[in-house]
Amino acid sequence: MFRHNFKYDLITTLRVKEVIIWLIIYPIALGTFFKVAFGNIYDNDIKFTAVKTAVVVNSEESGRTFRQIAENMENADDAMFSFVYTDKDDAMKQLEKEDVRGIIFVDDKLSLTVSSNSLKSTMLERFVEKYNLNAKIIGDTASSDPTKIAAVTNALTEEISSIKSEALSQGNTNMYDQYFYNLLGMVALFGTITGLHVATHNQGNLSSLGARKCISPTPKSKTILSCLCATFVVQAICMVISLTFIITVLRVDMGNRLPLVYLTSILAGTVGSSMGFFIGSVGRFGESTKDAICTAVSLLLCFASGLMDASIKQKIAESSFAWFNKVNPAAVICESFFSLNIYKDYTRYIQCVVTMIITTVVFVTLGLIMTRRRKYASL
Amino acid sequence: MAQTVVKIQNLVKRYKELIAVDHFDLDIKQGEVFGLLGPNGSGKTTTINCLLSLLDFDKGEIEIFGEKMTPTNYALKKRVGVISQNVAVYDELTVYENIDYFCGLYITDKETRKKYVDEAIKFVGLEEFTKFRPKKLSGGLLRRLNIACGIAHKPELIILDEPTVAVDPQSRNRILEGILELNAQGATIIYTSHYMEEVEQICSRIAIMDKGKNIALGTKAELKKMIKNTETVSIEMQQPDDDTTEKMSALPHVYDVEYKDGKLYVYCSGGKHNLIRILGVLQQKDIHFGRVYSELPTLNDVFLEITGKQLRDSE
Repeated sequence: MFRHNFKYDLITTLRVKEVIIWLIIYPIALGTFFKVAFGNIYDNDIKFTAVKTAVVVNSEESGRTFRQIAENMENADDAMFSFVYTDKDDAMKQLEKEDVRGIIFVDDKLSLTVSSNSLKSTMLERFVEKYNLNAKIIGDTASSDPTKIAAVTNALTEEISSIKSEALSQGNTNMYDQYFYNLLGMVALFGTITGLHVATHNQGNLSSLGARKCISPTPKSKTILSCLCATFVVQAICMVISLTFIITVLRVDMGNRLPLVYLTSILAGTVGSSMGFFIGSVGRFGESTKDAICTAVSLLLCFASGLMDASIKQKIAESSFAWFNKVNPAAVICESFFSLNIYKDYTRYIQCVVTMIITTVVFVTLGLIMTRRRKYASL
Repeated sequence: MAQTVVKIQNLVKRYKELIAVDHFDLDIKQGEVFGLLGPNGSGKTTTINCLLSLLDFDKGEIEIFGEKMTPTNYALKKRVGVISQNVAVYDELTVYENIDYFCGLYITDKETRKKYVDEAIKFVGLEEFTKFRPKKLSGGLLRRLNIACGIAHKPELIILDEPTVAVDPQSRNRILEGILELNAQGATIIYTSHYMEEVEQICSRIAIMDKGKNIALGTKAELKKMIKNTETVSIEMQQPDDDTTEKMSALPHVYDVEYKDGKLYVYCSGGKHNLIRILGVLQQKDIHFGRVYSELPTLNDVFLEITGKQLRDSE
C-alpha cells in the first residue's frame, strides 16, 4: 500500500509544473545571473593577489634601499606586491595595457602613478606614503642623532616588509558566495510548494482529492506519510540539481566538504517541504491563497537572510530582532553552508543542522496534528 | 426481504443558524437504485457527506450494511464507492494511472487491481484514452474517468452525487445506462440529482428533499399519486373568452385552467375521457386550435406541487 501510494505521489509531484519552474529552472537562471553579475567582481577586485607594480629607479642610492625592502616584501608569504624594474617608457606602456597597477618612481622620495582608482591602487598609495614617511624619519634621525640611525632603519624596514595578508579562516572567503548560499536557501524554501500539496491533497475540506482519499479505506496517516516522503525525495532531487549546477557549471567554490554540503542541501529541502506542509495544514483557506502565503513567507524569510540585499542580514543581527535569523530557516540554511565552507571546526555547522532537524520535526508534527482530523464540521 | 444497506435515522446537521439536514430518515434496501431528488441547496450532498462520515453531524444515527459508519471503519469503507459532484482526479496522472491509484487505495493485490482497472476502463469506454491526462479530456470523458475512479474496486454500494452536471446528452445517456448496468451486476445505487428526468428514468425509489427535509418518499407511481394532478391537456390556440374558460372549468375532473405562452392549459384530477370533453367545448364554440397534447404528471409536477404548496407557502 505504502509503495503504491509513494510511487504515484512521486510521479504526481515530479509532474507538477511549478516544481520544475520554481525548483529547477528558476534557481539555475538566478544562479547564472548571480555568476554573471558578481563572479568577475570578486576575481578582479576582491580576491587578493599580489599587486603587480612597475618600478623606475632614478636614484641608484635610493634604489638600493628600495630594492632591499622590496625583496623582503616579495619573499614574504602572501606577498602584497610584485615589483618589475624597468624604464619609464616601458612602465607607461605596461600601465596602459594594465599589465601593472601602478608605477613607482624611486628618487629621493618615492612617487606613484596609477591608472585608476581601485582597492589595489589605494594599497599602492598607502605603501608609498608609509615609505616616504619612514624615509623622512630616518633622515631626521640621521641629522639629530646619527648613532640611532641603524636601529631606526632596521625597525622601520621591518615594519614595512612585515606587511602581509593574514588568513582569517580556512576556506573560501568570497563574499559573493553568500548569494549562492542564499539561493540554495531559497530553493529549499520554495519546497513549500510541494509540501503545501501534501496538506491540501489529503484534507477532505480543502480539495475534492482530499475528500476522495478520506472516504477510502486507506488510513489518513498512510496517505499523508507516503505523500510527505515523496515530497522530500523530489525536493532532495531539486536541491541536488541546483547545487550540482552551482558547483560544476557556475564553478562556485563550495569548499572541500562536498558530501556534507550535499547532505546539508537535502536536509534544507526537507525543512522547506515540511514548512509548506505546516502552512497547508493551518486554516481553511483555498489552495491558491495558501500558495500565495507560502510564496510570501518564503520570500520574506529569504529577504531577512540577505538574498536580495546582503546588508539586511547584518542590520537584523544588530537590531533587537537578532534572534529572528537564528530560527529563520533561510538564514540557518545559509549559515550552515557558510560554516561548512569557512570554519575549521563543526560547532556552528552542527548548531545549524540541529536547528534544521528541530524545525522539520516541529513543522511535520504540527502539520500531522492539524490534519489528523477525521471528520469535518463543513466541507 | 431484502437487506437494509443504508439506514439513516433522525439526521440533523446544522451550519451555525442554518439547518442543512433536518431530522432526515432514510432506509435503502439492497439492489435498489435510490434517487435523492431536490433543488440545489436542499441538503442532498450534505446528507451524503454525513453518510460517508466526512462531515460531523449534530444528531442522528447512520448505519451502512448494518454497521455504524465511522471514519475508521475501513472494512465498511471498502464496500462503498463514491462518485462526487466535483471531478476528483490528479491532473498530473494519466487516465490509467488515476484509476490505478484510486483503486489501489482499496485493493492491495496487484494482479486483482490490474484486472479491475482494465474492467473499469472498459466499463466507462475510455480504452482509447488511457494515456491521456485529464486536461486533454472533454467534460463528458472527464466525468466518465471520475466514475471509473469511484467504481473500479467493485463496491457493493455506489453513491453518485450529481454525476451528470455539465455533461453532454450523449455522455449523460451513457452514464445513466452504466448506472443501471452496475445495478444489474448487484450494486445498490444512491443517485442524487436535481434533474427530475434522470431520476425518473433510472430510480426505483425516490426521496424528495427540500430545505433539508425528506418531503416525499416512494416509487414514481406512489409519488405521482400524492398530487392532485393526473393529466395536463395543453392546446395551441388564441386566447379564449371568459365564457369558454368558464365552460372548461365547469367540466368534471378539471380543477384549473390557465392561458400562457399561446397555449391553454387544462389541469385534470382523475377521471377518463378528459381530452374528448375539453375538445367538445372548443367545437361547440367553433374555436379553431392547433396541436393538442395530453401529458401525465412528471416528478417535476410532483416536486412543484409538494414544495410549492405544502412547504414554501408555510414559510
